[in-house]
Amino acid sequence: MTASHEIETRLRETAERLLGEKKVDLFLGHEKASLPLRTTPLFLTVAADAARLAWNPFCSPNLAVYLPRLFRAPADAREAKTAPPRPTVGVVLKGCDARSVVALIQEHQLPRDKLVLVGIACPGMVDARKAERVLGLHEALGAGEDAHGNIRAVVEDGTEVTLRREQVLADVCLECRAPTPSICDIVLGAAVEPREAHVARRQAEELESRPADARWAHFQQMMSKCIRCNACRQACPMCYCKDCLLDQTRPRWVGAGTDFSDVAIYHLARAFHMAGRCTACGACARACPMGLDVRLLVRKLNLEVEDLYGYRPGEAVDATPPLSAFAMDDPQEFLTEP
Amino acid sequence: MARNPYLPYPARLEETIVENDAKDIKTFRLAFDDPAGAAEFQYLPGQFAELSLPGMGEAPFGIASSPTETGRLLFSVKRTGLFTAELHSIEPGARIGVRGPMGKPFPWDRVAGKDLLIIGGGFAFTTLRSAIVYILDPANRSRFGSVLAVYGARTPGELMYRADLAAWQKRDDIGVHLTVDKPDQNWTQHVGVVTAVLETLTPSARNTLAIVCGPPIMIKFTLLTLSKLGFSDDAIILSLEMRMKCGIGKCGRCNIGSKFVCTDGPVFTREELKTLPVEY
Amino acid sequence: MTEKRIPQTDLDRLLARLRQRAAVYAPAEDGTGEVVLAALSGKESVTLEYRNFRLSPKALVLPQNQTLLCFKDGQAEEPRLPEGETILFGVRPCDARALLALDQVFLNGNPHDPYYARLRSGATVITLACARPMSSCFCTSVGGGPGDGTGADVLAVALAEDLLLRAETSKGEALLASLADLLSDATPAAVKEAQEQVRAAEDPMTPVKVDGSAERLRQAYDSPLWEAASRKCLGCGTCSFLCPTCHCFDITDEVRGGAGRRVRTWDCCAYPLFTLHASGHNPRPTPKERWRQRIMHKFRYAVENFDRLFCVGCGRCIRHCPASLDLRTVLKEVGA
Repeated sequence: MTASHEIETRLRETAERLLGEKKVDLFLGHEKASLPLRTTPLFLTVAADAARLAWNPFCSPNLAVYLPRLFRAPADAREAKTAPPRPTVGVVLKGCDARSVVALIQEHQLPRDKLVLVGIACPGMVDARKAERVLGLHEALGAGEDAHGNIRAVVEDGTEVTLRREQVLADVCLECRAPTPSICDIVLGAAVEPREAHVARRQAEELESRPADARWAHFQQMMSKCIRCNACRQACPMCYCKDCLLDQTRPRWVGAGTDFSDVAIYHLARAFHMAGRCTACGACARACPMGLDVRLLVRKLNLEVEDLYGYRPGEAVDATPPLSAFAMDDPQEFLTEP
Repeated sequence: MARNPYLPYPARLEETIVENDAKDIKTFRLAFDDPAGAAEFQYLPGQFAELSLPGMGEAPFGIASSPTETGRLLFSVKRTGLFTAELHSIEPGARIGVRGPMGKPFPWDRVAGKDLLIIGGGFAFTTLRSAIVYILDPANRSRFGSVLAVYGARTPGELMYRADLAAWQKRDDIGVHLTVDKPDQNWTQHVGVVTAVLETLTPSARNTLAIVCGPPIMIKFTLLTLSKLGFSDDAIILSLEMRMKCGIGKCGRCNIGSKFVCTDGPVFTREELKTLPVEY
Repeated sequence: MTEKRIPQTDLDRLLARLRQRAAVYAPAEDGTGEVVLAALSGKESVTLEYRNFRLSPKALVLPQNQTLLCFKDGQAEEPRLPEGETILFGVRPCDARALLALDQVFLNGNPHDPYYARLRSGATVITLACARPMSSCFCTSVGGGPGDGTGADVLAVALAEDLLLRAETSKGEALLASLADLLSDATPAAVKEAQEQVRAAEDPMTPVKVDGSAERLRQAYDSPLWEAASRKCLGCGTCSFLCPTCHCFDITDEVRGGAGRRVRTWDCCAYPLFTLHASGHNPRPTPKERWRQRIMHKFRYAVENFDRLFCVGCGRCIRHCPASLDLRTVLKEVGA
């Protein structure tokens, strides 16, 4: 694992070069946020600003979510006449971000030839809320990475608190099986060992081991806290539909309130639309203001797609997503032996 | 205790009149179930109301009748979405809720003694009908000076209130000029956009208030023409449209700058609009 | 009004007494390690060890979804408005001030909102002063403070062992009078300690320049900086939903068989569909216009309409934005 600051330096050089040589019109990365334990997306157009780029354990945001809107086709001929030419966009990608880009390319939302992908194998990113929970009533005023890869936070009374990395990494990172970007033009840093396959199944298996009514109670309890803000959907790179099913009025499939049936349908519908497409980036869970385990259902559905079709989203841009295709020898026991 | 502003007055559809050849604009004549409700619903031309269909929702519509037309409450509705489609399909006798009246009317206190230039385009003529009927009412007519109305539509079949228009054109206390973009073989009146007609008529701006209602593109060019004709910004009165929900300045949806189109508008003078951000 | 005191060990007794006359909401752990403003049933463990709640108390006067009308056989009827009193204990000063902002929208002006009015008038607010603001807090810059009693009926300050209570309104006076047997007078030393605690809490907050923000924002309306500032915005709604002064709502009808209801639900101006017309025209077509609207509403339009900022400096939007957008930074960038 290459040290973060080494990668950061090379990232800045790369972005500066790409912008300076006009190989890209726009470069997407991360920069320091106003609060510690976080970064904020950075949209660079000027080579000299590349020094603002950051690479550290807080680069959680999935930048792929900003890409489709940069390449959105004009709505009609009139708009097409005045629309600016499509930009060439450089973007820094972790393993999960790259999976999102792959999936978006497969679904024709991104033109591969207009992207310059800078891939960094990711050792995992810190979940700011987890870290804050560990700090309890202390508040981190600054945080960084120490030589061992742990997080050193300086709290309000000036003392330093070390948070073990494994204790504060995001849940998705703890089970990440593809930390090395599956698609990129430029590689920075060395490869990173993926987590073992069984870890990703652990949560789903634990839940399935509970009796049905306990599982239902768990689901109901989670749904009771949902405030229907739609943050999970807005943060998801794969939710790019201009007219979301769940917003439609003709017919109105789901109400906007917190009635259990509406909340449940929202999450169930979204989960089914994510099956075989969700790239396990965790942006939904990060965005949820209520801290809900929004990935609960999709995690399971994705495992089912993996088991039935041997497919994990975002790992090979040439692959055909199984739910977009049909082969005569596809497993069908769920039809014949429900 | 004040009436719940979210509770519509119960009313019924009495009559449906198809206004245009395309049959997607209909005028609905409504009657309140409760005469007390009718008595409370005091409005002035320029105001709007939210029509409510339980289960379908609500939408705001300019009131097309004049308060001088006692017992006749009219709304003209163009079929564009879910709610208007439902409205177009109901039969006389069906229940409709009416919430209102809402918004600020045309500035009738300023209009006394002035000459009026009324300019409308397409479907936006609804509240202008209300204004004209109000002005022409014998009880009101002497309060105003001369009245000139210019109304344009794409084709003769798209003009609304054709019976009223014909009747007004026969009167000598109002001038009504109609114009279409594309005439048919029977059309004998103006051809061309509303601004072209204005430039032919060159109405005087002296002691005159202009009231303009129409699609954004028509308003844009009409304002240029009115400027050329010498109308000052506070002599030009516009009615705006915005996506609305509550209609009473609480849901935060229809604001332009610090003004809510539902309570501070929908009627604004050009002078007022110039202080607001161009976000409409 | 004299300051009263009660030992913190008696807090449960105080809350139990309050529960005899009203539904009481107080800070309690929710079982996942988070402190929320929980409806007390008597089994919760109330705690005063928290910074602020994730969800603001606005949910108790302007619920996420609220039935406006009931339909039956095509007729619309008003629902029965909830009766009874609520007591909100442990509301932070910023959130209490926010209620006054909501009052401007829903109570003042014509007409007033009967649904909000019912919940609001039935609520008694006991504010708990802050001893330790967070780095995302900036209440002192927007007219508030960690010990500000504005918007409270009773202001409480937690000292080492005691809780000091001071009535801020006649409603608060009546409440404290009803608890007279549980309370004693606070000593001058305790009062001084409370004042010092509040002052110490004010110190660490980084000031945010908002004086004259309304005028500066008016001039900055067309600044190209809005585009840059808003590019990161996902339109996720987190900021508005957690914000104690955000009040925009949607109204929709829900039908089940022959019955149904008209319901209002929280909405957000950052959502792409918020201002979409039926014709397809959208006055705010990109994140730039929507983000600008959000800032303008809070720091300019509210000032022009109500002479009041619609931001109380609670910092929730800063802390929870998944893109870590910070409106303090944006204010500085477009205003400076």
